[in-house]
Amino acid sequence: MNKLKHILILTAGIAGLAACKPEIKTPAVSRGSADFTRYIAVGNSLTSGYADGGLYLEGQLNSFPSIIAQQMQQVGGGAFVQPLFTEGQSNGSGYLKLTGFNSSGLPILDTVKDKLAIRGIVSVPTNATTAIKVTTYTKYTGDINNYGVPGIKLTTAFLAGYGNLNGYYERMLPGEAPSASNSTAYIDFVTAKPFTFFSNFLGNNDALSYATNGGVGDVLTDKNTFATLYNQAIAKLTATGAKGVVATIPDVTAIPYFNAVTPAALLAGVQKSAPTVTSLFVNAKSSADATSTTYAVRELTNSDYMVLTFPTAKLGTLVSTPYGNLPYGLTKYTPIDNQYVLDQNEVAMTQDYVNAYNTTIKTVAASKSLAVCDIYSFFNSIKKNGLTEDGIFLNAGYITGGLFSLDGVHLTPRGYAVVANEFIKAINTQYGSTIPKVSVSQYRAVKFP
Amino acid sequence: MRKLLLLLFMASPFMVSAQGFQVNLAGQKQIGMGHTGTGLVQDGAAVFFNPGAVAMLPQNYVQAGTSPLLFKSVFNGTGTTNEYRTANKIATPFEGYAVYGPKSAPWKVGLGVYTPFGGLTDWGSNWQGKYVLESLNLKSIYFQPTLSYKITNYLSIGAGFVYDRGIVDLKRAIPLADANGQDGQAKLSGSGHGYGWNAGIFLKPLEKLSIGVSYRSKVTTTISKGDAIFTIPSSLQAMFPQPNTFYASIPLPATTSVGLGYYPNKQWTIAADASFVNWSVYKSLDFDYANNTSVLADTHSPRDYKNAVSLRGGAEYKGINNLSKWAIRAGGGYTSAAAQAGYVTPEVPDAKRYYLTAGLGYKAASHLDIDFSFEYEHLFSRTQTNMESNLSGTFKSNVYIPGISLAYHW
Repeated sequence: MNKLKHILILTAGIAGLAACKPEIKTPAVSRGSADFTRYIAVGNSLTSGYADGGLYLEGQLNSFPSIIAQQMQQVGGGAFVQPLFTEGQSNGSGYLKLTGFNSSGLPILDTVKDKLAIRGIVSVPTNATTAIKVTTYTKYTGDINNYGVPGIKLTTAFLAGYGNLNGYYERMLPGEAPSASNSTAYIDFVTAKPFTFFSNFLGNNDALSYATNGGVGDVLTDKNTFATLYNQAIAKLTATGAKGVVATIPDVTAIPYFNAVTPAALLAGVQKSAPTVTSLFVNAKSSADATSTTYAVRELTNSDYMVLTFPTAKLGTLVSTPYGNLPYGLTKYTPIDNQYVLDQNEVAMTQDYVNAYNTTIKTVAASKSLAVCDIYSFFNSIKKNGLTEDGIFLNAGYITGGLFSLDGVHLTPRGYAVVANEFIKAINTQYGSTIPKVSVSQYRAVKFP
Repeated sequence: MRKLLLLLFMASPFMVSAQGFQVNLAGQKQIGMGHTGTGLVQDGAAVFFNPGAVAMLPQNYVQAGTSPLLFKSVFNGTGTTNEYRTANKIATPFEGYAVYGPKSAPWKVGLGVYTPFGGLTDWGSNWQGKYVLESLNLKSIYFQPTLSYKITNYLSIGAGFVYDRGIVDLKRAIPLADANGQDGQAKLSGSGHGYGWNAGIFLKPLEKLSIGVSYRSKVTTTISKGDAIFTIPSSLQAMFPQPNTFYASIPLPATTSVGLGYYPNKQWTIAADASFVNWSVYKSLDFDYANNTSVLADTHSPRDYKNAVSLRGGAEYKGINNLSKWAIRAGGGYTSAAAQAGYVTPEVPDAKRYYLTAGLGYKAASHLDIDFSFEYEHLFSRTQTNMESNLSGTFKSNVYIPGISLAYHW
């Protein structure tokens, strides 16, 4: 009997120990001096979750404000509602999809055309004689926390009637474009309902729209105009005492859109079939002065940035000129069109403007004691050094880098998670909160077929 | 009861040992006593603990045992509230020994088959560090023929040759998502072998005291043609040529141990061991692929382990309630960590650790012993950022190891 007792005691002891698992005390979380009861996200495509050249459900679900809001919920944050596309129209505007690689290893992209949320294309008059085509999307009705509108600028955020010019904004509004009932300026629309916390990532398109079009078709927002409007926007957002975080604008040359196709690679490609060619030509801006409109043909250099959408097949195709048929891009009579190149002077000009915008953003934020997420420095650091997280090496490379989606401008879910963590860091620093970060490895990068 | 308390009390000041991926589970009687045994003559496990002591065994032995091991680890990423735990998988270290020598002869021969290094860690495919490691199953099985010779009644020596069979199976996610957003995966599996040796001296200068010194050499285990299987999106298949093989070489470190046995009376055996493990030989974990591409490069992961020590103590008491068929044992120990700051990985979330053991021996028949052991090992929590992967967080682990063996002696 005694034997049995000893065995029982020992067995019980063993069973007791084996049942316990190691416990970790995760750090206590707190909202600090901020109140995340109703968080609203103000901004453009980056805020909406735009990716792969389109806005679609998966991208929306992985938008950085959505990621931040989920984390805020651990410190008392409220519900975060996004103007999501429905499952049935989950491909939203349509987007780019990688379908493979050609024999030279270059990506082949296709556009997703099913399950779209496109309502139609309407012609909206901009003045007595001109009109623009606006693509409209299935209307969204319901609460909104993420107000991200692809394409919006700081300047257009103040534009009454902008709802008639941007289908993404129009879908949040009650009226059908073109309609007088869509006259609410974006900045008034987002501030109509009370909120306790905001993120503001407006301003990118004030520089980016100019840059992505190679300096054609759009202009950089005037520095003083930017400063005036940014002050007004922040005054409006903080008017009822809400706290918030603002982000600086990235250097345009930090994104793969301007780095994936390089002049050197183009020349090398041409030389494979035409070894005698030593230069490519471009119609470039003659000075970095914003007021100058002089363009002249010169040789393309490695200080010029090709846009990602440059149709490389066009190089060398014959173009009719007064001097006969000449190969496109290979002679000074047939230069590469300005729209495909952000030339050296345009780069310098854009960078100068972005720096000025960022100075404004930081100054205004400091005056209102807002958190600043310095995306400009963060992206430049990634461009230079890359970033290793959770055993993944991320960088600014196109497709391979892991951060940027197929459009070379917007982010992958993994990229948005990285950015969300940067925002969280900035918020925690400013407000003494301890919003937990997300694990970057839980978000995907580019999908390969 | 007073004696039982005394036993526990005595065991506590000594503390214990297993670090890195060393597994000190080589004999159930010895585990019960906190892994002591270098300075004792207990049973056939002397082949492992001290080949020099084998010739001192009063009998011949055939014995086998196993210690199913449950390694439970938790990870909390820095700045997050996420917790990830290893799956409940049971590793099966085992030991088997045969010792033979004529009664009158001063020599004995022995054979040991045991598993001194290994690891079974399975974090799954959805945790934060999946690109560093999903799972690792590492086993090394040592085969050790041994010869031991009793020079005098108080001095014996012995040595053995070691053949190691090493088996590795490692999985990690590759950050290349397919059309469904699923990760790619690398699976490296293979087996290889290595050679080494053991030697020991056993001394019994006094009736109540024995001393042992043993040395187990480094065994470099080389896997020359392991299978490297990559599951990745089809458009990238050319970047990860299949079939492919890998070459890897893992040094299993030398261990030097000193042990003492003290016998105050017929009922008690008290033992203490100290080991020095030459972990500094483990500089890096490298995989050299037979077919490389611009994307698939050979890997070089620095480990830079440092030498480690473990201190252990234990005791055995025979004759509870005058039932001499029973023996109870207890022990414990402390081990320093081999992985240095900045080099801790999820394969081996190494940390300083202490352990407590208990054991029960039963003489089922005059020639047959059944031994049970139980070990609880606690690894101190360790907050680390790995320098290579930047995986940052806190690891905490517990290990539970019940064990059983049968020993036939004549």
